[in-house]
Amino acid sequence: MGLEFRRRDYRAEELALSLQRGRADTHPLSASSSSSSHLQVEECESGKDDFCDPLRVSDGSTEMSSSDVNREDACTEATAPSQLKTMKGWISYKKMLMQRFPVSKTSPMSVASGVHVKGTKAIEKSAKDLHSGELDDDKIFDDKDVKGISQQEHLSKLHALKDEINQYWCAGDRVTSLRLSIKAVRSLMDSSAIQIYPTLFVLATDIMDMLGDLVWNRIKEKAEITEENFKADDICFDAKETCNNWFSKVGSIRELLPRIYLELALLPCWRFLHDHPENILKRLVEMTRGIADPLASAYCRLYLAQCSLRLSQHDTGFLIACINDLKLVLARLTPARETVNGNLYGNIELLLTLVEPAIEYVIKCLFKDLKKMEISKMLLALGLSSNLSILSKNHSCISVVLHHILKELPVEYICSNAVELLHLIEIIDDRSFDQSLNFNLLGHRLCELVSQVSNVHLLVDKFIQVLSCHANLHAYLMLADAYLDIILENHLGMLLNVILDGILERVRDERIGENELVILQSVFLKILTHFGDIEKILALNHFADFLDMMHGSARNSINMHILNMATRNGQIQDPIIIEVLLEVAQALYNGLDFSNMRKDEYQHPSRLISRFVYMVDHGMEVESHLRFLAQCRGAFSGINELQENLVHSSNNLAVKAMRNGNSSMSFVKSCLAFNEVTIPAIPANLRQLNLYIETAEVALLGGFVSHLDGLLNAAVNCLQMIDPVNVMQMAEDGDEAISLICKLCGMSVMVPGGVEPEVAYIPKRLLSFLNSQSWILPRMKAKILSAIVFLSAALSQNQLPYHAVSGKVICNYQLFVGFPSAHQELLSLSHIALQGIVNCVMQESSKERGKLALESCNCVASSFMASDETLEACSKLVEIAKSCYSADDKFLQSTLKFLDASQFHLLCNSGPVG
Amino acid sequence: MSVEIKLSRFNRIYRPGELLEGKIITTLNSSISYQSIRLTLNGAVNLQVRGGLAGVIESLYGVIKPIPIMKKVVDVRSSGKIGSGTTEIPFSVILKDPKEKNLGKFYETFHGGNISIQYLATVDIARGYLHKPLSATIEFIVESDKDNLPPKPIPPDMVIFYITQDTQRHTLISELKSGGFRITGRICTQCSLSDPINGELTVEASVVPIRSIDIHLLRVESILIGERIATESSIADGDVCRGMTLPIYIILPRLLTCPTILAGPFSIEFKLSIVITFESDLYKKPSKADPVSSKPWMATESMPLELVRTA
Repeated sequence: MGLEFRRRDYRAEELALSLQRGRADTHPLSASSSSSSHLQVEECESGKDDFCDPLRVSDGSTEMSSSDVNREDACTEATAPSQLKTMKGWISYKKMLMQRFPVSKTSPMSVASGVHVKGTKAIEKSAKDLHSGELDDDKIFDDKDVKGISQQEHLSKLHALKDEINQYWCAGDRVTSLRLSIKAVRSLMDSSAIQIYPTLFVLATDIMDMLGDLVWNRIKEKAEITEENFKADDICFDAKETCNNWFSKVGSIRELLPRIYLELALLPCWRFLHDHPENILKRLVEMTRGIADPLASAYCRLYLAQCSLRLSQHDTGFLIACINDLKLVLARLTPARETVNGNLYGNIELLLTLVEPAIEYVIKCLFKDLKKMEISKMLLALGLSSNLSILSKNHSCISVVLHHILKELPVEYICSNAVELLHLIEIIDDRSFDQSLNFNLLGHRLCELVSQVSNVHLLVDKFIQVLSCHANLHAYLMLADAYLDIILENHLGMLLNVILDGILERVRDERIGENELVILQSVFLKILTHFGDIEKILALNHFADFLDMMHGSARNSINMHILNMATRNGQIQDPIIIEVLLEVAQALYNGLDFSNMRKDEYQHPSRLISRFVYMVDHGMEVESHLRFLAQCRGAFSGINELQENLVHSSNNLAVKAMRNGNSSMSFVKSCLAFNEVTIPAIPANLRQLNLYIETAEVALLGGFVSHLDGLLNAAVNCLQMIDPVNVMQMAEDGDEAISLICKLCGMSVMVPGGVEPEVAYIPKRLLSFLNSQSWILPRMKAKILSAIVFLSAALSQNQLPYHAVSGKVICNYQLFVGFPSAHQELLSLSHIALQGIVNCVMQESSKERGKLALESCNCVASSFMASDETLEACSKLVEIAKSCYSADDKFLQSTLKFLDASQFHLLCNSGPVG
Repeated sequence: MSVEIKLSRFNRIYRPGELLEGKIITTLNSSISYQSIRLTLNGAVNLQVRGGLAGVIESLYGVIKPIPIMKKVVDVRSSGKIGSGTTEIPFSVILKDPKEKNLGKFYETFHGGNISIQYLATVDIARGYLHKPLSATIEFIVESDKDNLPPKPIPPDMVIFYITQDTQRHTLISELKSGGFRITGRICTQCSLSDPINGELTVEASVVPIRSIDIHLLRVESILIGERIATESSIADGDVCRGMTLPIYIILPRLLTCPTILAGPFSIEFKLSIVITFESDLYKKPSKADPVSSKPWMATESMPLELVRTA
């Protein structure tokens, strides 16, 4: 008995086998399904015991480590005087200071460790000449390298000194510790090495803090006090005497600066003598006035502010005095603009940048626990008042101080006093700080709480006034950017136009630099996000001019924003908007450099462009849409994803046209032709294959047999072109290729005979493809062969399982009815396929072998009548499956049942297969 | 084998009317017998000529005979034995017995350059002729009795001072003379030893940048005319802002200061001197001269300072 196809009655089979369908109450994807959420929760809970969530695990460990950190903190807390909360801020501030003003060349740490190796004697020696020789050397050598080295040595000696002081202290030689500490601070008296001063400061204050803690702990030990809240009366005479001794030792230091620093280090110790040591701060502030060097005095005040935080309570009066003194010092540095020549001013500028962090910290301390009520009073005390008569009396306010005060003022205060502050900034204009930066800061602070800005109209009027005075593009842009939110928030469209005009005017005179571009971008973004609608943006004055102004990455970023915004809200139908957006997209595309950019850099813009093309909708005007697609194909030839989308879109168009029925066949033909041209340009073969199949489906739907043949031919050709190396590397690609081939086979059922007068033209080509390609794994081969068997079996039926909807294509069974040769051809093809399947399954060695065997078995049983050949094949396959699965496996059971039902009584259920 | 004296007070300060209390601590390897343990208290004003300030003849004599203040010998124990290990023998001696006739006034302890007033306590453990006696000495510090001291806030006796180019008796560099300067301030001239010297100073004008402003505390010890700096304290470092008031705040160093004494054979007085050093090229030239003497790039103003002990 030869091979024979099983006769199928698809309709009856469907009726018999399909499950009963019933209406569902809820959509499976709808969110508010209580039962499913309940289910999820259950799953989570059940998973809890044995499943270790990696995120949770790491969470626990970080908790641990953070608690470790806390413990460490607690340790230091136990040893150090109170208010460790403020210490954290101090430590991070010091870190910031070191990073902001890094010491160039080799790191001081490594040098310091080098000194260590030499032994303590070397340290001692180096410490001794720390002050005497080295500092002067800096001045003598102008050569930069020599200076760098000696600076390094200087720093490393300070490092070593700290350890040494600790060693001496532990050895009981406290006098030497003090002596060395004084030596350490003396290095701060010299501010000639201006660049490393912040680093010197950090190192020296480290030593001061350490010494302060040591002394504190020693006196506390003597006083036998355990709790933090003690009174001076609780302290015994001896402890007080020791404390007094320390203060008189420190007080007898000849030089002013070390005396102040050491007294600051010991500041908390005053608590052993007085219950209210706060008054001492006032004297220290005044003493600091004696330091004339601006840098040294600023940093000294910084340390003073820091040390004052360690006292439990203090008022802010001394800090105000401190800032006012600092203002006087700075005022000397920044005389009238005209008198300073350029070179000198460069130095002053450097000095100001070095002093700035100190000002910042002192002002931060001042605002730390400030109550709202006190702000006005405090500003007045600092000489900050928009009332001209008051200001002129105290005309020393420095814009850099004002800048940091603006930074610290609470937003609410700023918003309710916006006009006054703006006025104040306008009055205070000195060299210490760029005035426009202060305007800028105020604007940004106001924008933090735009809704609460009072007197908006007055403020904005004033602002426009100020703005118009700025002829410089950069400053103009910066200010416009800072205040834009206020203007937008209050819908002052007129003023927006004024500002935009102003920008344009200045752009005409000046070239746009990189910095300006960044700000312009920010301005643009604010406008874009405010309006959020492409139509409104297009309605703005000079929109196009602004777009043209920008270039480079700023332009790209803006273009991306526009595209993103435009494609967010559904389809784009307005032809004008489409035209503008197409220009934008083209500009964006031209800005991309595919050869030199990393994939992630151009991926996002490409996606945006693709999405834009996808979202364009010409409605019923399918022809113009197709023209648009063609235009895009030319314009964005580099974006593969977009080219794919074009094919999808054109297929959509064709289907749409067919559905509507009112358009001519020629339009569908042109869609197909469009695709036939577009697809070959896409580099990936698999993508091509997919698109060919998709287009072929459309052609089938429309009944364009010649196109269909061409497309299928091209698809099969594509298969031949698949690069084996690529596929081997990417397992998924292989699987995708297989499923595409299966899909192709599925579709071939409906395809009429084709160019060649044979029914099995495509399956034959597939077979030859299988044989020619070595990369195809056995399990893949088995799948494709199964698909061929299914196809052949289906083609041999009198009634096809499915049809193209239109019914325009004549089916094979109608075409080849009564041609026995066709039937024979299919049989012989199936014969080869069947052989191949068995061989492939036997070759397969992976875990899927059993599954594959059963699947193939099902395929054979459903396609063929039982015969010697098929029975033998099935027996082999079942044996393989049995070797892989246990006897009670469900798939195996059901397959066996199906075989029985199909009259496949296997030859030898037991015993080996020959 | 050692002996030491440990006084009852950590700071070793005692007043004449008080008991000097303490312990004699012996640390011995083996027990010893002794004939007596004797404590000697000795107080004296030592006058001496040092350095190049004195004339040739005076320096030949060197030490002038000290002026005794007190000498007291007390037998703590008559003959006996001390065991090995650490033994503590307490003692207690009144410094100034009202019944006794004293040799001199109890001046406060002072360590000066030419004059020093010192009180010593010495213990001697005599062990017969065959053995070396053990002994130890410690200095104790005498401060005036509280009874007859003025009460604490002594009236603030401030003087106002002006320092200008015209108040200087020495020659000034020409820039200073022509440019002019004016520094004003006030400072106390009577000060309790336990309080800092207070005052303030303002640089009102100065064309020449200032290098530093220092306050010198001078002691005037008059056996021979000579001034020594007891302490030097900088109140300004660099060219300070004009019109800013700088505080003067000087903690008096212990031992180096004492209440002002005007006794017959010697006197100890104090002076405050405000020294303004201006920036000048001349300054950089090394000079080893006496820091007290005036230089052309300096301006000074001195005023007497009376130090008193307060309750």
